[in-house]
Amino acid sequence: MIYEEIAFVLLALVAIATGVLALLVRELVHTILWVAVFFVDLAALYFLLDAPFLGVLQLGVYAGAVTVLLLFGIMVTRKRIFSQEARIGIGAIPFGLAVVTFIFVVAAIGEFPQSSTTIYTYDPTALSQNLFNVNGPWLLLLGLIMLVAVGGAIYLVREGRE
Amino acid sequence: MTDLPIVGFVGLSAALLAVGLFGILTRRNFILLLIAIEIAMNAAILNFVYFAAYAGGTPGLTGQSIAVVLVGFGATEVAVGLAIVLALNRLKGTINVARATELKL
Repeated sequence: MIYEEIAFVLLALVAIATGVLALLVRELVHTILWVAVFFVDLAALYFLLDAPFLGVLQLGVYAGAVTVLLLFGIMVTRKRIFSQEARIGIGAIPFGLAVVTFIFVVAAIGEFPQSSTTIYTYDPTALSQNLFNVNGPWLLLLGLIMLVAVGGAIYLVREGRE
Repeated sequence: MTDLPIVGFVGLSAALLAVGLFGILTRRNFILLLIAIEIAMNAAILNFVYFAAYAGGTPGLTGQSIAVVLVGFGATEVAVGLAIVLALNRLKGTINVARATELKL
């Protein structure tokens, strides 16, 4: 469908633009706003890819929780919220390295067959079967890692630690 | 949705990875560093979702399951990173990673 291709091109351009803007604007709060747009844009891409569950998860976890968490991180570490970062030069070597990475990965795409033949339709029952039965151990591992991470975070910021 | 070309999606992932890598290499603010890492990680998750739709059937569902787990990992990583930001801010009064030299020999 031509509409899907137009939607994909627009979403891809917005994703790259907001990603670059998030790292280049001078005010940290504006960075958070751009990165929120970036996360919502990726959620739209997931919907385009017939993965609505993942799209909703992206909206809830990234666009919601992570954005607010980063905003709190800025609020508690600065005296004034709208204080600007010192401008740092772009730097030739990091920029060159990023461009080389991009060219390398794009050159590697030639190894794949170029068009898909299978039809994939979203089926929530099958996805939950796969997620909780086949990949259940990974979910348990994720829960364990989250528990340890929360414990470690509390240990890092607890009172009276020198 | 299977008509979308693979070059577009993997190229988008590569571009986002390059943006994240560029941010990791140039930014000195810890929060910006975390955001750059998240952008690079989202590029990886997008790859999983795309190849899930590309494969279809059971492999596709496995790709989506892995993506769900990775979203959880990303959120965990931000939580721990912000705890480190708070500890660094209390210790040094700044969140510039160039000032975090406690572990240098």
